[in-house]
Amino acid sequence: MTRTCLLLVSWLAMSAGPASGQSSTEMQKITGGTFVPLYGADSAEVHIDDFYLDVYPVTNAQFVDFVRSYPNWRRSQVIRLFADQNYLRTWADDTTLGAGMLPRAPVTYVSWFAAKAYCECLGKRLPTMDEWEYVAMADEKQKDARADSLFNQRIISGYETPDTHIQPVGSTYRNFWGIYDMHGLIWEWTSDFNSVLISGESRKDGDTDRNLFCAAGSVNATDLMNYAAFMRYALRGSIKARYSLRSLGFRCAKDVSE
Amino acid sequence: MHKRTSQTMRLSKFISLALAAMLASCAQPATDPTTIPVSGEMVAELTSPPIVPAPVGSRKATKLKVEMEIVEKEAEMADGVRYIYWTFGGSVPGKFIRTRIGDEVAFTLKNHPDNKLPHNIDLHAVTGPGGGATSSFVAPGHQITFSFKTLNPGLYVYHCATAPVGMHIANGMYGLILVEPEGGLPKVDREYYIMQGDFYTKGENGQPGLQPFDMAKAIDEDADYVVFNGRVGSLTGDNAITANVGETVRLFVGNGGPNLVSSFHVIGEIFDKVHIEGGSVINENVQTTLIPAGGAAIVEFKVEVPGTFILVDHSIFRAFNKGALGMLKVQGEENKTVYSGKQQEGIYHPEGGTIQKMPGEAPAARKASSVAERIEFGKQVYSKTCFACHQPDGQGIPSAFPPLANSDYLNADVKRAIKIVIEGKTGEIIVNGKKYNSVMTAQALTDEEIANVLTYVYHSWGNNKTVVTPKMVARVRSGH
Amino acid sequence: MRKAHITMLFLLAGLLLAAACGQSQKNAAPTLYQCPMKCEGGKTYPRQINCPVCNMKLQPLTDGPEKKANTAEIPELSIFHLSSEWHTQAGDTVTFRDFQGDILVVVMIYTSCKSACPRLVADMRNIHQKVGRADGIKYIFVSIDPETDTPDRLKEFARKNLLESDEWVFLHGSTDDVREFSNVVAVKYKKISPIDFSHSNIISVFDRNGVLYYQQEGLGVDNKEIVAKIKALRERGR
Repeated sequence: MTRTCLLLVSWLAMSAGPASGQSSTEMQKITGGTFVPLYGADSAEVHIDDFYLDVYPVTNAQFVDFVRSYPNWRRSQVIRLFADQNYLRTWADDTTLGAGMLPRAPVTYVSWFAAKAYCECLGKRLPTMDEWEYVAMADEKQKDARADSLFNQRIISGYETPDTHIQPVGSTYRNFWGIYDMHGLIWEWTSDFNSVLISGESRKDGDTDRNLFCAAGSVNATDLMNYAAFMRYALRGSIKARYSLRSLGFRCAKDVSE
Repeated sequence: MHKRTSQTMRLSKFISLALAAMLASCAQPATDPTTIPVSGEMVAELTSPPIVPAPVGSRKATKLKVEMEIVEKEAEMADGVRYIYWTFGGSVPGKFIRTRIGDEVAFTLKNHPDNKLPHNIDLHAVTGPGGGATSSFVAPGHQITFSFKTLNPGLYVYHCATAPVGMHIANGMYGLILVEPEGGLPKVDREYYIMQGDFYTKGENGQPGLQPFDMAKAIDEDADYVVFNGRVGSLTGDNAITANVGETVRLFVGNGGPNLVSSFHVIGEIFDKVHIEGGSVINENVQTTLIPAGGAAIVEFKVEVPGTFILVDHSIFRAFNKGALGMLKVQGEENKTVYSGKQQEGIYHPEGGTIQKMPGEAPAARKASSVAERIEFGKQVYSKTCFACHQPDGQGIPSAFPPLANSDYLNADVKRAIKIVIEGKTGEIIVNGKKYNSVMTAQALTDEEIANVLTYVYHSWGNNKTVVTPKMVARVRSGH
Repeated sequence: MRKAHITMLFLLAGLLLAAACGQSQKNAAPTLYQCPMKCEGGKTYPRQINCPVCNMKLQPLTDGPEKKANTAEIPELSIFHLSSEWHTQAGDTVTFRDFQGDILVVVMIYTSCKSACPRLVADMRNIHQKVGRADGIKYIFVSIDPETDTPDRLKEFARKNLLESDEWVFLHGSTDDVREFSNVVAVKYKKISPIDFSHSNIISVFDRNGVLYYQQEGLGVDNKEIVAKIKALRERGR
């Protein structure tokens, strides 16, 4: 898919002169490891390779730069297959933020396709769900703070608090890896968000519906106490790639080999 | 404050009708409710507690449109205590839905764009998987429509069933849907909607400020608040429900839970009638009725004397310390507030919950050492590899996949059976007198696995109990 | 990634020729040429050179016998907007755009699946049989396991399952493109172990312009409705 992006770069060179270029967020290297996500594979444990992750979610200002450079991701031009009608709906026009929106606040109302294109145009990609979860289990001091009830409580409270997405990035805590805002600001797209095989009928989801899903091996939740993760996975299970939600943004990742 | 139903004027006129309706519902013939015809279309009147929509009366079954909006919003739980509720229609409990038997309900569930979470709805009045939950899973800023026919009269709970389900209910996502019998419930003078729920906040009862949901307390079932209609004081003082001396009162009482069972009682009254658990059985002269979490009851009584009657959960600490208290003010003479209790702090607050982890399974491929083990292991292979086509009980799928149960084809030739598992089978075969023309591809199973699964199949569903060994499989594989 | 870099070189070389890639194409001169693989989206050239990306000979656009491509007329919700390339079991490279004009019946499976996939294959076979006449209809299997399901393996799978006539198409794509396609058809899937996946059982029908027309979800459905829908599409004419 890098293809699309490169082609657009060439288009720019033709028609708009040198691209102003979107400012790229600083990244941190995440040392890989093994962990047990809420919904893992059949062996429950998932291995993560080393990778880089954006320190902050992508901001409104950065996304303005992006659509300036890539007109086909502007609100008026985006193809409906790739973004629903809510796409960037709070913006004043194609390239201007709405009144009161902070340039440093995370961009929301973006579809998965748009988020993916944004990352690819910077030579990055969306993080996988497991990568994202791996980083998100860290608090300020530990790599895996999931057993800390206060940490869990803090995450859940953040999820319940309305309108957190209007704050600037960096306004929550910096975690073990040096990454900000994994919790408490927005939901974030991941590359394989649609691998959550839940029907929304939570009481049945332990027993994967063999009629709706071909389940060679069904995967159950590994930790019935991780309410925060249940909420994240439920959100992922409820959305489609075209959706643009008020509290859903993204950040980019990158392989280490590059 | 409250809508005064004005049936009194025409009461006498209705008595005969009501009687007729009662008789009709008692003597209701066993017609299949799925075949009740619907005529016309109407938009359902939805009301916030404690108000209920107008009775269905004698209207025919119809196509009833229900539009329910899910709103996550901050509101007051008690004086100075705020909470972020998740609601069906902006109130806790959610909007009351009133239907009659045979209605075809077209239910649209809208998840407000400002909400942060996906939700769904499980209506206990729905006959179907998940009570609608599977069909109604909806992300913020989206809506979904599904439909169902009401088949059983009664008072039913509805609630959100999205993971973590307990938290969605604990935050207020429940309400009641009434399905009236043919001809409607008998007429009364007053009807009200009351629902109990337990709440779990980070701060103890009474601690001011915005209180987040406390997961540990919820799992310990250690409620900080047990209240009617979503907050302390929703039915007291100026918010009390009212009646006049001599009137009949009907309360639609539900219990959203998530944890606690309610011992619903009205101090100073005896329920003349209770529709036990919201169903068809009517008990009479009841002091306290149990309302299970996720259940309901309809209680009816005539108020004979004026005064303030206190509604409580008779698990009485809840009423006096946690908020499960309401008032029915009966007018006729001067009104007096009987209770002016002060909130007190709870005293019981254990910490933390035990972490449940699912054991990580790592089954090693063990060889069967007996026929019994062979059958046991074979069953595991069957449920992974074969059941999708041949079905859990070996019955197959007509005209697509042949049966393995009582199968003449299978019992006639074990070598052939082994060969089919190894190599697959294409083309026409006749099993138990029926023709099948399908494709089964070769199965990548070990000799041990094939021996196990075939032994299992031969020992199940009336087959001839052949034991298949890995050696037999190996022989067929090598072409002997 | 290497491929991308090579693409980049070509692009730099041909920068002056570059037109509006991925953008709606403007009506222009009578004979224009375009890569049949749509490597560069709707990009056209005035001469019949070779595609700078895949090196295939460009095809005439307006007066060509197929007369398929008029980007401006592709509906917004068409899967023809996907630029991803796929390999068929025959070893051809295609994009969904190449199926324009056909009704598409699409399911996502993987060949080592022992669970519901045989049922989905049987459902496809059953739909195919009930629909009858297959001209103008393509039955497409998209593999969700591109690592295992190479075009050769797909070909073998087609042979074993007796799905070898022209209307049966098996597609192999990159992991990324498979994920993207699954998102377009709202199929969910997850790798459970090195050889197993869980996935939604959904069969999708697309009209001749690549717009999703109907989806059947679940197993054990009697296929009546989906067959009726396909027939209705066929009756609608071109």
